[in-house]
Amino acid sequence: MSVRDDILTAIRQSLGAPAKPPGAISAESTALAAESAQSRPELPHADLVEAFAARLTSVKVVGASVDRIARIEDAPAAVARYCKTHGLGLALALQPDPALAALDWNGFELHAAISGDEAIAVAKARWAIAETGTFVFHSGPASPVLLSYLPMHHLCIIEADRILGHLEDYAIAEAGAAPPRNVNFITGASGTSDIEGRLVRGAHGPAFLHGIIVDPGLSEPKSS
Amino acid sequence: MPAALDDAPAASFKQRVAAALANPDLKIAIDRTTRTARQKREAAVADWPGFAPARDLGRRIKDHVIENLDHYLVEFERNAAASGAKVHYAATASEACDIVIDICRKTKGHTVTRSKSMLGEEIGLPHALDDAGLNRVETDLAEHIVQLAHDRPSHIIWPALHHKREDIAALFREHHHTPPNSDDVGAMVASARRELRPSFLGADIGISGANFLIADSGAVCTVTNEGNAELTTTIPRVHIVTAGIEKLVPGLSHAFVLLRLLVRSATGSDITQYTTFHCGPKQQGDRDGPDEFHIVLVDNGRTRMIREGIKEMLRCLRCGACMNHCVVFNEIGGHAYGGVYPGPMGAAMTPVFDGLKASRDLPSACTLNGRCQEVCPVDIPLPTMLRGWREKSWAQGLEPQVQRRFLGLWAFAASRPSLYRFGTGLAVKALRLLGRGGWISNLPLASGWTRYRDFPKPAARTFWQEFDAQDRKREQ
Repeated sequence: MSVRDDILTAIRQSLGAPAKPPGAISAESTALAAESAQSRPELPHADLVEAFAARLTSVKVVGASVDRIARIEDAPAAVARYCKTHGLGLALALQPDPALAALDWNGFELHAAISGDEAIAVAKARWAIAETGTFVFHSGPASPVLLSYLPMHHLCIIEADRILGHLEDYAIAEAGAAPPRNVNFITGASGTSDIEGRLVRGAHGPAFLHGIIVDPGLSEPKSS
Repeated sequence: MPAALDDAPAASFKQRVAAALANPDLKIAIDRTTRTARQKREAAVADWPGFAPARDLGRRIKDHVIENLDHYLVEFERNAAASGAKVHYAATASEACDIVIDICRKTKGHTVTRSKSMLGEEIGLPHALDDAGLNRVETDLAEHIVQLAHDRPSHIIWPALHHKREDIAALFREHHHTPPNSDDVGAMVASARRELRPSFLGADIGISGANFLIADSGAVCTVTNEGNAELTTTIPRVHIVTAGIEKLVPGLSHAFVLLRLLVRSATGSDITQYTTFHCGPKQQGDRDGPDEFHIVLVDNGRTRMIREGIKEMLRCLRCGACMNHCVVFNEIGGHAYGGVYPGPMGAAMTPVFDGLKASRDLPSACTLNGRCQEVCPVDIPLPTMLRGWREKSWAQGLEPQVQRRFLGLWAFAASRPSLYRFGTGLAVKALRLLGRGGWISNLPLASGWTRYRDFPKPAARTFWQEFDAQDRKREQ
């Protein structure tokens, strides 16, 4: 017998009970998943955009700030605002997403390939989650994983209608879809508490995370 | 960065404990981390009214997986293979290491970056990689410290908990190319970032563990705050996952329930900064990612835990709350336990890994105060398990002769009520002679106790003497 079969046999023998039919296992599993609705944390606002923005700027999320714009076309201006506030130049790695490439980046110095000591990366997230203040990225031809991990400043653009309530809502939204190589849930800047339990930002990944929410409900751009 | 690992401590448990207690710096270092951890966990739990029902649900999800472990293992394997992963099985620690080394050789890897994994520590992977001549680079900050110090992790969440910041600053000044210019924690973290970045970019192989194995997609979930896992698993040509078979969950929604419990119990946050689901190698058109993705599924005693009657141990999420709240761990630290896993969960599991004969002191080094089970996010009955090991140790005749004789004597007396009452009556009288003002400050045969604290002077009469006296009064 192979090691695999040995382990499977050892599991069944040690449990001392016959295997259940797959249908029964699946029914139990579905019931357990459904139960999580009863215990998940409450959101601070009924409005998902408000809830997400509040969460992102709360002490619960490390090193994050937020800006809101009415249209995706306003994104370059929002990025420029951020760079100015932080005394940064306008050279950045831009996610090779068609929606971002179509914007007017006049005045910026853009590159698609990210370098080992990249200062700024700008990317559009696939989803956001209000419960935890999380941006969700799927790896793919238009979304390299390293954009989220190598830069010092990580700027994430999210459209208001892509903001979900709870973690489970992500599972529902993507149910049945073929998974990408990486699904990255990103909640704040990189941090470590490995030295005496004290939190320090920028351990290996970004030290700053800036969310830019594209909210058509907004008439005037405002910063917080 | 060549690193030779020190061998596991050879001294006895009692000697290791004595050494730990004699080290004043260790106590400072432990307290600095575990006090913060306890406070943050308490605040996180208080902030979430759903904690209790979620904990109950988490326990039932894990039990459901354990009862159907073979089903989920096969489902995970099928989906992982469909995503392009190569799935391997290892019954023992050495089999698992051999598989990993074999992959490194076949893919002609030289520099191996590693993201912290307790399973990796459990199977002795750091040692095996060094022995195979590979350039192993630990990328988790704490593991990096442990590697530079040539010692071993002492906590499952904060492996470098036994080092004070002053010692770490000295270590970085000695080893880093551009060392920190102060003992400030921020400067030290920045120095480690500078030092490790070239290793991330130049690695051939990345090795990670798994916090969850998602059966219905074949994805592997890692949970970190530093972002080192993603740099470890995205840049190299090959990504190898080593994971215990108990990490399985049916689907994403189940993982999220456990994730909420895990992170709050470990660090007091609601979620870690980086939670990533790795599914297969680089896909068509992907801009980054490994060409090969291997998953090594490891038993190493897990099916034996089911047989030994401690299958609840397979619920363990490796959050470390039990050790943060353990009065024994907080005095002696992680190294004194001698095993890979310290604290209550370590004391419950080490007899399975190292044999009860070699580790029988661990289940005894427990006050049974029950705090570990209270704070466990999946309600593992740790005190019951530790008592179970004590009973097994007694039944197998592993306890020392002196202890067996005295217990035999006590049992002889305890099963003869009149003899027992006569004996305790005498003992109370003798003890009262030694007492001064309600306390005994020097007790013959128990000087180990009275050296550090006084022993309470017993009441004038034993319970039975008092009971009989009251009985007589009532009859009159």
